[in-house]
Amino acid sequence: MREDPPRPWRALHALPEPPQPSAIPAPDRRAVLRGAAASLALAAAAGCDAPDNFGQPLYSRPRGVAREVSWFATALELEGLGRGVLVRNQAGHAVKVEGNPAHPASLGATDTYMQAAILSLHDPYRSRHAREGGRPRPPLAAEAALAEAREALAARGGAGLRILTGLVASPTLARLIGEVLDAFPGAAWHQYGPLADDGALAGARLAFGAPVAVLPDLSRARAILSLGGGVLEEGPAQLRLARDWAAAREAGRRAGHLPSLLVAEATPSLTGAKADRRLVLRPQEIEPFARAVAAALGVPLAAPAAAAHPDAPRIAAALRRAGPEAVVLAGRGQPAAVHALAHAMNVALDAPGTTLRYADSPYARPEEAGASLRALAEAMAAGEVTHLLVLDANPVHTAPPELGLPGLIRRLPFSLHAGLYLDETGLACRWHLPLRHPFEAWGDSRAFDGTATIRQPATVPLVEAARGAEEILAALLGRRQEGATGLGEALVRETWRAAWQEAEFEARWRAALEEGVVEGTALRDRPARLREGWDPGPAPAPPAGTLAALFAPDPGLWDGAMAENAWLQELPRPLTRLAWGNAALLAPSTAEALGLAPGDEVELELRGRRLALPAWPMPGHAPDTVTLPLGHGRPTAGLEGGGGFDAYRLRPADAPWTAHGLVLRRTGGRRMPIATDHHHEIRGEEIIRTVAPGEELPPHRPGPSFYPPWPYPGHAWGMAIDLDSCIGCNACVVACQAENNIPVVGPEEVARGREMHWLRVERYFIGAPENPDTAFQPVPCMHCEKAPCEVVCPVNATVHDAEGLNTMIYPRCIGTRTCSNNCPYKVRRFNWFDYARGGDGVRVANPEVPLRIRGVIEKCTYCVQRIGAARAQARAEGRERLRDGEVVTACAQACPTQAILFGDINDPESAVARAKREGRNYALLGELDVRPRTTYLARVAQAPEGPAA
Amino acid sequence: MPQIFSPQADSTLRLAVALGLLALVAALVLAWSLARSDRAWGVRQPLAQPIPFSHALHAGGLGMDCRYCHSTVERAAGAGMPTAELCLGCHEQVWAGAAVLAPLRSAIELDIPIAWRSLHRLPDHARFHHAVHVQNGVGCETCHGAVWAMPQTVKVEPMSMGWCLDCHRNPEPALRPREAVFDRGWAGAAPGGLAEHVGLTAGSITDCYTCHR
Repeated sequence: MREDPPRPWRALHALPEPPQPSAIPAPDRRAVLRGAAASLALAAAAGCDAPDNFGQPLYSRPRGVAREVSWFATALELEGLGRGVLVRNQAGHAVKVEGNPAHPASLGATDTYMQAAILSLHDPYRSRHAREGGRPRPPLAAEAALAEAREALAARGGAGLRILTGLVASPTLARLIGEVLDAFPGAAWHQYGPLADDGALAGARLAFGAPVAVLPDLSRARAILSLGGGVLEEGPAQLRLARDWAAAREAGRRAGHLPSLLVAEATPSLTGAKADRRLVLRPQEIEPFARAVAAALGVPLAAPAAAAHPDAPRIAAALRRAGPEAVVLAGRGQPAAVHALAHAMNVALDAPGTTLRYADSPYARPEEAGASLRALAEAMAAGEVTHLLVLDANPVHTAPPELGLPGLIRRLPFSLHAGLYLDETGLACRWHLPLRHPFEAWGDSRAFDGTATIRQPATVPLVEAARGAEEILAALLGRRQEGATGLGEALVRETWRAAWQEAEFEARWRAALEEGVVEGTALRDRPARLREGWDPGPAPAPPAGTLAALFAPDPGLWDGAMAENAWLQELPRPLTRLAWGNAALLAPSTAEALGLAPGDEVELELRGRRLALPAWPMPGHAPDTVTLPLGHGRPTAGLEGGGGFDAYRLRPADAPWTAHGLVLRRTGGRRMPIATDHHHEIRGEEIIRTVAPGEELPPHRPGPSFYPPWPYPGHAWGMAIDLDSCIGCNACVVACQAENNIPVVGPEEVARGREMHWLRVERYFIGAPENPDTAFQPVPCMHCEKAPCEVVCPVNATVHDAEGLNTMIYPRCIGTRTCSNNCPYKVRRFNWFDYARGGDGVRVANPEVPLRIRGVIEKCTYCVQRIGAARAQARAEGRERLRDGEVVTACAQACPTQAILFGDINDPESAVARAKREGRNYALLGELDVRPRTTYLARVAQAPEGPAA
Repeated sequence: MPQIFSPQADSTLRLAVALGLLALVAALVLAWSLARSDRAWGVRQPLAQPIPFSHALHAGGLGMDCRYCHSTVERAAGAGMPTAELCLGCHEQVWAGAAVLAPLRSAIELDIPIAWRSLHRLPDHARFHHAVHVQNGVGCETCHGAVWAMPQTVKVEPMSMGWCLDCHRNPEPALRPREAVFDRGWAGAAPGGLAEHVGLTAGSITDCYTCHR
């Protein structure tokens, strides 16, 4: 007999009090009649809304073959590393992004940033003009200025020229920068990414004496120790690592013993949420902990661990048991010593060759970004710089403020910024050039494992004046377009012509464009030996009794470059559930000690700089530490960028990730961030279920029903969502938004609980707030067999169809919202405003899905447009039935861990039918017996350090 | 005390009520018939096109197959419109310099499409897939009428939802063998047994999501 599991909970803060009934004046009889009359008239007027399609244009193309849909394989970069994507182009417009199954960093999955790229492409706030001193200038003027700069520089061997880019792995970009450096020997190249993991690079240099990249293979790992979050976090390799982790877990579930994920971290992360054992450590405690585990594993250390951590021996034992099938990884922002300790532990475990391999860095010139930027700032301060080119970077916003970059750049005689937006750096520089979006430009990328992708345009350029970064460098070199091929394409071809033999060039070029990967470019293994004296010894302990500031990427905006993207802004963050802004995250115990309630405004002071922002107690957060998500609060970003607080303003140059000595004061004010914890709250028994390995849930027996059963002679669509695999990354939510033209409603409406996402990923905490267990649960429409919404609609606008879909007929809907009231899962969304025809909104829409008008309900359709397209395809081919896997919903396609399965439950061999036969299968709110088509597979938990054997 | 109402008042009131009701009924009948009129649906109403193209000449007189120009009708949702290049394939030789063909030449020169005016465009929320209907034995003629006899192309059916549903509820009379789909004036017998012919699960083609998204 199992004891009752603890109930999951959603938030530390209570729901705001609803307005008291007495506050609302009671209407008199006439007002009621007037209201009724108006609503009747409105209902009648709703019928007069048909657009006139007669005589609309029907186009004949001048030449070529008309294709309704084409796909382009290209890549999107994060931290300079590519993730392969396929872009769907319909009638010349890029409309949707999917992962490229052939690409090792995507495997067909996408993350939120890849999905949202399509919105940035169409963003009306994108920079559209070349500018000098902020005023629009013709593109030719910028080219003339570049030519002038070239001549001035050539006369003195390039002295004074500096190029600043993000991290560069692209072969063509690197080649062109190399050519510039050759042509101007006095020039220098700097790379800066605000989230560049300098510690990983320094750690590799410490351990191996070279910038070795570690490529983990988590599919073979039986024990993973993650120091400081990391493994499943957003990043250039996230999709691959998450897929491998899920594969290992799947194999473990079948074998009856799960691989264990052990996490030691300060800020709760996705990795921590999925951990089998999560240790909450203050940031300064992670290194001593790593040292203690290393010592227990027999790693020779420079100095013995000061005080053994109580959990270290057990963690070490779990790693030791897994032997070469264990791996230790350090997260982004960990100091070099922690990375070096992880390397040493891997060597001690004999992991290289099994769960990880070593390779050269995929970057063109691996360097520490912080040092590189500081060198540039010092050169500018010393007056050594006359010409500065900033390519696709925004250092004025993201650089530590003590470097004083804005002032330094404004003093330069010539500065040119190229970016997607006229951002802070664009405003500081003399010249600004609009940059092409990756979907409009030629280029190439390398993935975290080195695999190259040739990037090709997936749409016609939407900004006439925009240039690719490669083209700007070519202009600096004085190169012009030659022949019929555009300059951008010619530059990429040139790079690969050098790598391939001439005879096979065209064939390989075409194959690379079609596949989205260049054969045989993955990084080869390299030997790496642990250096003598790799251990720098224990770091000095920070002064006791002070708070630590922890800077972290925002799980939604990343480094802030995507702050203009409304899909990402409105996405509730996976763990905090905040949207449209950030807050200072701290432990509930720390908040209590400081007397802070959620939303209390605090003023943070770090090394003389101050920032006021709301405090937000975060369950599972380390005490005496404040996490500041970066990337918010950009004053120059358009409408979308205004929310939140700019944590870069506090970030010190010498301690970009963890800074001690933070002073926190209450201002007495309140600024409640927009929290979605309580939105769409489900009440029921055992919402989240957890089983032991091999344990089966008791089968649910459907009770009697007043309604006759539906016959499904053909297909019967269903979904199964594996809560054990779901990492809560939100990719499905943005994929759904992109596929189904789901409107963005803005911060005020989200604060009212009116966000429109058809699919939401719920986050539940289980247990005490100091270190709770965290569970994610994606909730789409359940497509109930006995749907409570269907029976209450007065106009039959939501009906059951022959394949079991709960269909929503928008033109019939009169907006009573009764269905939404009667939906126990809270998945129905109401159009309070006319988002479909809203003014100057972003005109990006999937033409396969209609836009919904004001006053109608909408909800998940199981991507009925994809079912329809697959059925039409099958019928056109003369097949009656669809094959398993022919219909993939947008959410299932995006999922990195393949936690969402969709298919025909009438076909006993389909993947979804097999999943639903598993013992872990359960219906959410099964006690209501509405027989949902979407069911969940319970989480699996075992003793944290693995089976005792 | 004088009478307030004259002796005729009662009859006047009755007449007014009767006339009022009659007017209301007449208005409703008029509105109903106007809404269903060919005019409201664009039936048999030609539109001025950028080129005065004649299906009667090309399809009727010259006997060109529908698929020569509408080439994707057997594999895609849209039947496909011919490219200017395709038109010029013949019109480089025939009527090469005709002024009415100027839009073809400017389309090629300027690389801009020719904007015909659509007669059969469905509203955004309704989806129609040509290839599926062709594959299942719906003749071109069934919906588009005798296009080969039209000097000016017009729509012959309202393409209203009711009209679509008439067929979707009982498709058999409108179907022909797959090989007769492109025949003109086909008068054979409908193939018996919908299930064998089309492979449809009975009833499923009247679900809303069959045509709507």
